[in-house]
Amino acid sequence: MTFINKLKDFAVKSPWLYRINGGSCNGCDVELATTACIPRYDVERLGCQYCGSPRHADIVLITGPLTRRVLDAARRVYDEIPDPKVTVAVGVCPISGGIFRESYAVCAPIDQYFPVDVNVPGCPPRPQAIIEGVAKAIAIWRQRL
Amino acid sequence: MNFLTLFARNLWHGPYTDVFPFGPATTPEHLRARITFDPKQCEGCRLCEKVCPAGAIRFTRTPGGMTFDCWHATCVFCGTCEFYCPTKAVKQSNDWHLAHEQGEKYAQVEHGLIPNQICVECGAKALDTSPAVSHIKPPLSETEVSELRARCPKCRNKYLRSRKTS
Ligand code: SF4
Ligand code: SF4
Ligand code: SF4
Repeated sequence: MTFINKLKDFAVKSPWLYRINGGSCNGCDVELATTACIPRYDVERLGCQYCGSPRHADIVLITGPLTRRVLDAARRVYDEIPDPKVTVAVGVCPISGGIFRESYAVCAPIDQYFPVDVNVPGCPPRPQAIIEGVAKAIAIWRQRL
Repeated sequence: MNFLTLFARNLWHGPYTDVFPFGPATTPEHLRARITFDPKQCEGCRLCEKVCPAGAIRFTRTPGGMTFDCWHATCVFCGTCEFYCPTKAVKQSNDWHLAHEQGEKYAQVEHGLIPNQICVECGAKALDTSPAVSHIKPPLSETEVSELRARCPKCRNKYLRSRKTS
């Protein structure tokens, strides 16, 4: 599989992940933690690592339907992330609004506000699906570098 | 168990980490993920559209019949549609490979068409839906079901009534 071979080449470099919670129900955040911390899934095999500051990030993972209250804060944090960055929408909430679609309190879909590159649908998506999405994001990130 | 036995067992078993994405992923058999739809089995009752909490399912009347669309990017994998579907035409599979790039966002759709047909009895145009036969007693034979299927709703009623009296 050429995709896998490419991925192996890519894994020599290490993109850092940053997480923005746009008012998620925490389901997706638990899955993101699972993806990183549980040896069974272990996203660090792809050279990724979660970082605490947006200024160190390469790939930004956004969860939640972007509630009106969190919109400004999310935009400010997003602008602090240096370019080139790759944006991944995790869960159906940021992609379409999911179960909160058409609510007056949310600003979903988030692609109205952020340039999204990869979508990972699921409520919440399985850790392996998140890894698949991150792998796609790494491929995009390598092109942008 | 002392640590030496644990050590030996771990050596024997190898790493616990799932090899995906460098190899095939392990998936539980009953994982609830992507929705699938079989237009052949659908009764056209539109119950799934009504019960879907995320509004992911939509039926549309078109000149060719009735189309079913389920947008995976808003489906929350709750399984309500499958639970209420009388014929299990709409089902949840365990395929979770849904991650996609932004350009394909609106292509993440399960699409199906219930075509129109001409009723063999009265010649009217009607949907070729699967007849609702699960509660009929005595149960219909296979030929009766196919005869029923070839008719429009009105003639299906007539067919069933005549069956009762005979
Ligand atoms: S996609 Fe589902 S699990 Fe994730 S934040 Fe939205 S409601 Fe919660
Ligand atoms: S898929 Fe099932 S619930 Fe939906 S309209 Fe068809 S028969 Fe009814
Ligand atoms: S699983 Fe739930 S959200 Fe998805 S299509 Fe069925 S009823 Fe709708």
